[in-house]
Amino acid sequence: MDPILYVHDLTGGYSPKRPVLHRISFHVKAGEMVGLIGLNGAGKSTTIKHILGLMKPQSGEVKVGGVELEEDTEKYRSSFAYVPETPVLFDELTVEEHLRLTGMAYNVTDNADGERGEALLEQFQMTPKRRAFASHLSKGMKQKVMIMNALLAEPPLYIIDEPFLGLDPLGIRSLLDRLVEVKRKGAAILMSSHILSTVEAYCDRFIVMHHGKIVAQGTLDEVRRAAGMEQRGGTLEEAFYRLVAGGNA
Amino acid sequence: MGGELRLEAIWSRRARAFREEIVPYIRYMAQSGFTAFLSLIFISSSIGYVTLIRDLPSGFPIAAVGVAALAPVLCWSPLRTWLAPADTVFMMPREADMAGYLRRSVRHTAVFGALLAALVLLLYLPIYNQGPALASGWLLAILAAGLKAANTWGAWRERRMAWPGMRRGMRLLRWGLTALVLAAWLTREGWQAAVFTALIGLLFALVHRFPARHRFPWERLIQEEARTRNRYYAFFGLFIDVPTLPAAVAKRSYLAWLLRAVPNANRYTYVYLYTASFIRAEIGGIVIRLLLLACLVVYWLADAASLSGWGAAAAYGLFLAVLAVQAGGLRHVHRHSIWKHVYPLPDKRRIEQYLKVDRVVVTVCAIVAWLFAAIPLAMASIYAPSISAAAGAGVYIALRPSRMRRRLLLDEEEGE
Repeated sequence: MDPILYVHDLTGGYSPKRPVLHRISFHVKAGEMVGLIGLNGAGKSTTIKHILGLMKPQSGEVKVGGVELEEDTEKYRSSFAYVPETPVLFDELTVEEHLRLTGMAYNVTDNADGERGEALLEQFQMTPKRRAFASHLSKGMKQKVMIMNALLAEPPLYIIDEPFLGLDPLGIRSLLDRLVEVKRKGAAILMSSHILSTVEAYCDRFIVMHHGKIVAQGTLDEVRRAAGMEQRGGTLEEAFYRLVAGGNA
Repeated sequence: MGGELRLEAIWSRRARAFREEIVPYIRYMAQSGFTAFLSLIFISSSIGYVTLIRDLPSGFPIAAVGVAALAPVLCWSPLRTWLAPADTVFMMPREADMAGYLRRSVRHTAVFGALLAALVLLLYLPIYNQGPALASGWLLAILAAGLKAANTWGAWRERRMAWPGMRRGMRLLRWGLTALVLAAWLTREGWQAAVFTALIGLLFALVHRFPARHRFPWERLIQEEARTRNRYYAFFGLFIDVPTLPAAVAKRSYLAWLLRAVPNANRYTYVYLYTASFIRAEIGGIVIRLLLLACLVVYWLADAASLSGWGAAAAYGLFLAVLAVQAGGLRHVHRHSIWKHVYPLPDKRRIEQYLKVDRVVVTVCAIVAWLFAAIPLAMASIYAPSISAAAGAGVYIALRPSRMRRRLLLDEEEGE
C-alpha cells in the first residue's frame, strides 16, 4: 500500500546556501501514528513547513496522497489537515464560524446541519464558548479550536505540531482519544511533540531528528537499537537522550 | 540604556519612536494627492462656512448646532500611553512610579484636545452671536474649558473601571450630561444654567463614587493604544502598504444575518471569510460610518437642490470614490494568512470570491447613497443629475472588478 505521506531525500531550508534539512526520508502509512521528535531547532517545524508546501524543497520530493504539490494542488491540499504549534485563528470569526469555514473549505458535505461540529464542540468542552470570538479565547481554547477544525475535515492525513501546549488535561485526553479513533478508521498522523511519554504511549513509530538529519526512525525497539540500547528495555526518553546528547558528548 | 531608566525618559523615547515611525507614511500620503483632496475639502467647507455666517437662515437651529459641534470635541478624550503588551511584564513592577509617566500622556493628549475644542468654539461663536447669545463668548470659553477638564477626568475614571458594561454606561452618561450642560448654557439664562450645571456636576461626582476600579488599568490602556495604532495604520494603508497589525474586531451583531446568508458550500468559502472580515474588522466600521456621512451630506445638498442638483451629484461621486478606496482595503486583510496556502482551494478562486464580496459592498453603498440624492431631487422634479450619477456609478462598478483583479494578482506576485 502506498504511504499517505512520502518524504524522500528532502533537503531544504530558507536559503540554498544553508540548508536546514539534510536529505531526510520517511513515510507515514494509513492507520499509523508517527511521532516526530527532536530538540528545539532540530528541524521539525521546517520539515512540517515543507510538507505543507509553505517552503520549496531544494532537492528531494514530498508526496501527499500520492501526488506532489505541483502535480495536483487541490488533491494535495485536501489530503491533510494541519494543527500549527501556535494557534492561528481568524480574530473576526467565532468558534462555530471557524468550524463552518473549515467545513466549506474542505467540502465537508455531511456538516451541512453542523452535526459533526456539534459533536466536536461537545467533546472538547467548547459548547459554552461557541459564540466567542477567537480573540477572546485563552491559548488552550484556541488550540482546541485548531484541533477541532482539523478533526472536522476528516482528511487522510493529520499534521500536528506540538498539540499539547496550553491544553488542559481533559483537552489532552479528548485529543488523544480522537486521534486513536481516526487512526483506527484509517487516517495517518504525523505528530511532533516534546512530551515523550505521551508520544511513546500513542505512536506506532518514531522519527528522531537532530541538527536537520534523521538520526533514528522506526518502532521503539528500532530506535532503542539505534541508540545503542540493545534489547533490554528502556523508554523512548532514554533512547532519545542517548541519541541527541550522547552523540554530541 | 541605564539600569534605572526614568519612566518619563521612556515616555519621551516612545513618543519620538512613534513620530519617526509614521513620518515616512505621512510623506507617502502627501505625495498621493491626498493633500489636494484635503485642500479641496478645506476650500469648499470654508466657502460654505463663510456663506453661512454671512447670511444665517432665520430658523437656523443655533443651540442644536452648538451642542452637536461642541459636545463631541469636548467629550472625546483619547489617551496615548505608548504602552505595549510586554509592559505588563517590564513596567508593571514600577506601577507605583507611573504617575509621572501618565502625566506626560495626559498633557500630550489634552493639549491637542483643547486646541481642537478651541478651534470648534471659535468657529461656532460667529453663529452663536447671531442668536440671542445669552452668555458671553468668554463665559462659553470658560465653560468649555471646565467641561473639557471634567471629561478628561471622567474618561480616566472610566478607563479604571473594572466592568466593561459599566464603563460603556458611564461614557454614555458623560456624553449625555455634557450635551445637557451645553444645551442649558446655550438656551437658558445664566443663573438657571449655573444651577443646572451644579446639579449635574454633583450627579456626575456621585455616580463616580461607586463602581469597582483598578488602580492602574494596564490592560485597558494597552488595548486603547493598540487600537489607536491600528487606526493610524488602517488610515495609512489607504496610500501605501503597511505592516499588518492584529485587527480590532467589533461584533456588529446587527449585520450577522449577512454572514448567515452566505450559502454553506465549498465555492463560497472565501465569500464567507471576507464577508466576516468586512462586517467585523475596522474596514466595515469605516465604510459604514462613511456611508452614513455620505447619505447625510448628499441628502442635504439634494434637499437644498444646490447648483440645480449637481452639487449632490458631485458630492455623491466624491463620496463613492472615497468609499471605493476604503472598501478596497479589505484585500489586505488576509494577505499573510497561512490558511490561504493550506486550504485545498485554488488561489484563483480566492480572488474571484473576493471580487464578489467587493462588488456587493460597493454596489450596495452606491445604491443606498444614490437613493438619498435621487429621492429629494425627484421630489423637486430634477432628474438629470441623479441619472448622470447613476450612470457614472454603473460604469465604475462595471470596470472595478478587472482593475481590482489586476491589483490582487500583483499583490500575489509580490507576496511570493
